[in-house]
Amino acid sequence: MKKKLGFEARIGISIISLYLVWSMGWFIYGYFLKGTLSNPYRPIDDLSLELLSPFKSGFILGTDVFGRSLIETLSAGLLYSFGIGVLVSLSAAILGTIIGYLSALGSKWVRVPFDLLTNLIFVFPSILIAILFMSFIGPSILALVFVLTITGWPSYAKIVRGEVKRIYSQSFVEASLASGISKTGLFLKVIIPNILPIVLVQVCLGMSGVIISEATLGFLGIGGSEYSFGSNLSLAKSVLLEAPHMTVIYGLVLGGLIMGLNLLGDGFRDYLDPKNNLGKKI
Amino acid sequence: MSGLVKKSLYFLLTLFISLSAIFILIRFSPGDPVERILGPNAKQEDILKYREQLKLDRPLSEQYKNYFIDIFKGDMGTSLFSKKKVTELLIEHFPPTLIISFFAVSISLILGVILGVLAGYFQSTYIDHLARALSITSLAFPIFSLGPVLVLLFSIKFRIFPVSEWGSLSHAILPILTLIIPLTAILSKMTRNKYLEEARYPWVDFLRAKGMDNMGIQLRLVKICLPTILNIMGIQLSVVLAGTMVTETIFDIPGMGTLLFESIQNRDYPVVQGVIIYSTLVYMIIYFLVDLINEKIDPRISA
Repeated sequence: MKKKLGFEARIGISIISLYLVWSMGWFIYGYFLKGTLSNPYRPIDDLSLELLSPFKSGFILGTDVFGRSLIETLSAGLLYSFGIGVLVSLSAAILGTIIGYLSALGSKWVRVPFDLLTNLIFVFPSILIAILFMSFIGPSILALVFVLTITGWPSYAKIVRGEVKRIYSQSFVEASLASGISKTGLFLKVIIPNILPIVLVQVCLGMSGVIISEATLGFLGIGGSEYSFGSNLSLAKSVLLEAPHMTVIYGLVLGGLIMGLNLLGDGFRDYLDPKNNLGKKI
Repeated sequence: MSGLVKKSLYFLLTLFISLSAIFILIRFSPGDPVERILGPNAKQEDILKYREQLKLDRPLSEQYKNYFIDIFKGDMGTSLFSKKKVTELLIEHFPPTLIISFFAVSISLILGVILGVLAGYFQSTYIDHLARALSITSLAFPIFSLGPVLVLLFSIKFRIFPVSEWGSLSHAILPILTLIIPLTAILSKMTRNKYLEEARYPWVDFLRAKGMDNMGIQLRLVKICLPTILNIMGIQLSVVLAGTMVTETIFDIPGMGTLLFESIQNRDYPVVQGVIIYSTLVYMIIYFLVDLINEKIDPRISA
């Protein structure tokens, strides 16, 4: 019965573990070794070292527009991207799960408005609302997390709604109901464990979307942090002729992160999904 | 017919709620918009004058009514920076965006469907694996890292296309290519999955048993897959929209994206608002049309 994880999922896991180790390493370095929790270490500006190519004067990946070591700004950006990705995906997943559950099983007065709301935000061009919101509120991490959560939860709600309906018609739910389980008990002890895997798959796939959205906002100059991959790619674009290494390195690191998350999510989905055998000839 | 009426009503409701959401977002974002527009050193009288000019001193219900009237009259105020009407600016900047996104969407639709069907037809062969590897790789590079790399390769290294300017056909090729790559990747992946799902149904065997030739069956399969593909395209449209905007800022194309980018940088709020509102409108209308076309192709959807 035990299935093995596919080739892609294993590549995804390796890539993401590598990135996790990298960002954790930076976290320990920046927050405990070089700085403190309240005042973390920041990459140092030195305009005399501006735009060095890789492998020159001790900088393995070269330096950026402000003469900061590219390895350091990359690491800070990676930690930031991961942080935003995890924070937004988890809050969107929790909000979406609750709303999806209510719209699957609630009374008509709960169901209809929630359904409408989900569909509405689902068809709404979410990146536009994020751009509008961020340009009016001004760049801040809190606003960024808020707006990405607000535009992100409907995809979770849709999945959870379908899954809850499917699970609810099965006999073990009937059995728990017959044994007198409370409504919250049913949600926490029966429904949640059964929808958790599929929600986690969506967290993986959604996280790459969140990271791209965040970088897009950063690229447009309304992201939450100066270390965002987007704002650094925007800087890199302005010096494309003088320092192509910035664009290439940032693009590759961000690309690896997105690819890893996509592979992981796709791999887990193939692992869980009964429609898995799509990939095999019948 | 009642399906059409229901859909239109739903569309209008969605549109109404979306535009209201934008209104609420703008009016209730913290801080005074006028003070933000005029900066922290503005004189009190200027603020009052400007507030009157923007009609922000009226009651909220009246502002709300006027907001909708203004949208449908196409009057979104004047730019704070260039003093031009927002509508004029929008009309001026619309054609490049339209050209780029139209070509990108149509070319990637054709390419995506062909690649997806090929990958599905030659399932689990090297063609399938190659298509999958290509799609995974190209999805990993968002437009703002793909675009500059394409410029590096094609304009600076090989000097095939001019760098960033706008005017002739050769200027449009790189931006369109930047958009085509991720779109084709998504579409081919979805087409492949849908194709394989449909190819397992018994009607395929039935047609084959009746003696229909292979090409005819493949065409039928593609036709059956089309609504799903168009639907995905509809959902992806907001990605196309944002993607076109980012692409324009990369290639310095005087389109809606550059307009939005510049007005964000200049804190030109009326223009930001105008671009977002009209993009939302266009997006919603296209989404609605995709829905209608789907119903024409596959009557099962409306049932």
